[in-house]
Amino acid sequence: MKILVVDDQKANQIMLEGLLTGIGHEVCCVDNGQLALDVFEQFQPQIVLLDVMMPHMNGFETAPKLKQLSGNVHLPIIFITALDAKDTLLKCLQVGGDDFLSIPFEPVVLQAKINAHARVRELSYSLAEKNRTLNWHSNRMEREQNIVQHMLRNALRENELEQPFIQTFLRSASTFNGDLCLGKQGPFGNYYLFLGDFTGHGLAPATGTLPISQAFFGMAARGLSVSDMATEFNRRLINLLPDDMFCAGLIVEISPGGERLTCWNGGIPDAVVMNKEGHIEHYLQPRHMALGILPMQQFDSQVEHIFVRPDDFLVAFTDGVVEMEVQPGKLLGEKGFLSMLSQAWQSNGKQGFDSVREQLQDLAFRQQDQDDISLIAMQFSNESAPKLQEQVAHNHLPFTLQIDIGKAEMDRLDPVQQLVDSLGKLDALKPHKTTLYLLFAECFNNILDHNVLQLDSGLKEQLGFERYYQEREQRLNKYADFKIELVIRYDPTSKMVNFEIGSNGKRPYMTTGNADGPPKSCEEQLFGRGLQLVETFADKVEWRRQGQRLFVQYDVSRPPV
Amino acid sequence: MGVTREFSTDQKQLVIAIKGKFDFSLVQEFRQAYSHIGETQPTVIIDLRETEYLDSSALGMLLNMRKSLGSSVRGIQLINARPEVKRILDISRFDKMFTIS
Repeated sequence: MKILVVDDQKANQIMLEGLLTGIGHEVCCVDNGQLALDVFEQFQPQIVLLDVMMPHMNGFETAPKLKQLSGNVHLPIIFITALDAKDTLLKCLQVGGDDFLSIPFEPVVLQAKINAHARVRELSYSLAEKNRTLNWHSNRMEREQNIVQHMLRNALRENELEQPFIQTFLRSASTFNGDLCLGKQGPFGNYYLFLGDFTGHGLAPATGTLPISQAFFGMAARGLSVSDMATEFNRRLINLLPDDMFCAGLIVEISPGGERLTCWNGGIPDAVVMNKEGHIEHYLQPRHMALGILPMQQFDSQVEHIFVRPDDFLVAFTDGVVEMEVQPGKLLGEKGFLSMLSQAWQSNGKQGFDSVREQLQDLAFRQQDQDDISLIAMQFSNESAPKLQEQVAHNHLPFTLQIDIGKAEMDRLDPVQQLVDSLGKLDALKPHKTTLYLLFAECFNNILDHNVLQLDSGLKEQLGFERYYQEREQRLNKYADFKIELVIRYDPTSKMVNFEIGSNGKRPYMTTGNADGPPKSCEEQLFGRGLQLVETFADKVEWRRQGQRLFVQYDVSRPPV
Repeated sequence: MGVTREFSTDQKQLVIAIKGKFDFSLVQEFRQAYSHIGETQPTVIIDLRETEYLDSSALGMLLNMRKSLGSSVRGIQLINARPEVKRILDISRFDKMFTIS
């Protein structure tokens, strides 16, 4: 222990120093209060022995100042006094002294007192240390939480939940929400909704938000199906979450006209479809286990399809809503909540949701332990929102591509699909992939069927559709040595794709009927639309070399649709 | 790639989805997808959201389906067609025989 002795009597200094150094303490002696304050910073005493009567600054004045210098850590001060008057002793304690010792004293008493106060000092010191560490951890935690919050906010930036047709009541029990509510418009004017409820609440479940929201936004933008979404979400969560954590989830897709609803429900309470009078028409029951539980081979992505009417509502909610207490020991329950919903819609019409929100807010206010609460209502509408396509300028090199396709190439793959997949990698051609496929496929099949295989399209009607293709298959083997030549040119200046296609011409071109024959007026006609479609979509179609070769030109500068 | 078929829980809808390329290579799969539809007179829904390519043989297959299903179904809807696919259906006047949405 470092002990500071403050006494103006040299004899006392020598006596105390001798005693204390004798039992192993480090001692510093000063003559008065002022000097004690002066050496404090440098000596850093752990216990102070303080005389009362001193010149310059007496003990009563010095004690509170020393305490102040010591800050958060307790500094034991023992007054050493010759005075025995009660008043003096009392005053010693009042000014902040912790103990006193009257001279003369037994050395063992001094030793015992020093030991006792050393223990208190140690305790206080370790407490202050722990507080400092705690503080550091708490600051660090706060910083990390801010970072995670920031990431979650960014992950949800694509959320398109704020729509005129959607109303929500979302409330999280802690800083981080274990419920997740996502919405996004699809490419056909369809709309997707996801409502999720991770086990527990707080930071851990909220991190599940990241993989789910990323998958949801990506898949919605591509217009993928609800069943594929459910499969992908489960795949991500099964890989990511510990065994005791999972996510109840409801995925819904509404068709552009607000007529069809597709849903997958894993562990979310029955969502309902309600008409605007508050009558419940469908229950979307949880038919599956929550996401992140079943391994992929056992996972069931079967969805439900139902017809709905524009102006109907979908109302979905997490179990935080139904598990709220209405009275001590009595929960709101699914039945209770659904009747609250129906009544609200019956008596308030369009303001039904606001009334439900107010009632839930009141209930939530009174809850002891809260779960995250999510409630969402979506009104179907037959106004679809068409998406605009951007017109972008593309710079590509001009090219000419020559491809020879024989039986071997056709056996291995679909040459036309392969070709269009590759051409579609060019930005300028990408938006026209489907149309280019149609043009190439029709022309290729026309040359193959009629010029190479000598099939008359009338056969389709004679034989029927499937027999025709069987016949085609047989002839493909019979005339296995054919070669179809395809030359494609792309000119970025005129924005034209043109191609010429023909066979190696070992057999004469069939003269019966002009390719597919004259167009039939009947809309029910099963066949012979091929070249008609080419004529409609292409800018120029020409038979060249006495019908041996077909030339087609297509303008990619116009919008694809 | 290929054809998937799914009945709604109430058996009122049969949803057939076609992924990737829709042409005669799917002829048997497609026919199987609309066979055995039962007595419930469902609405058949062809989901084209993932149909990237189609040609006239696909149009023929759709017409074949319509002919063979006749009055055993409530109707046939072609849904979620991409703009390019929808244009091919429109130009072929398929809106006269199917509900396109």
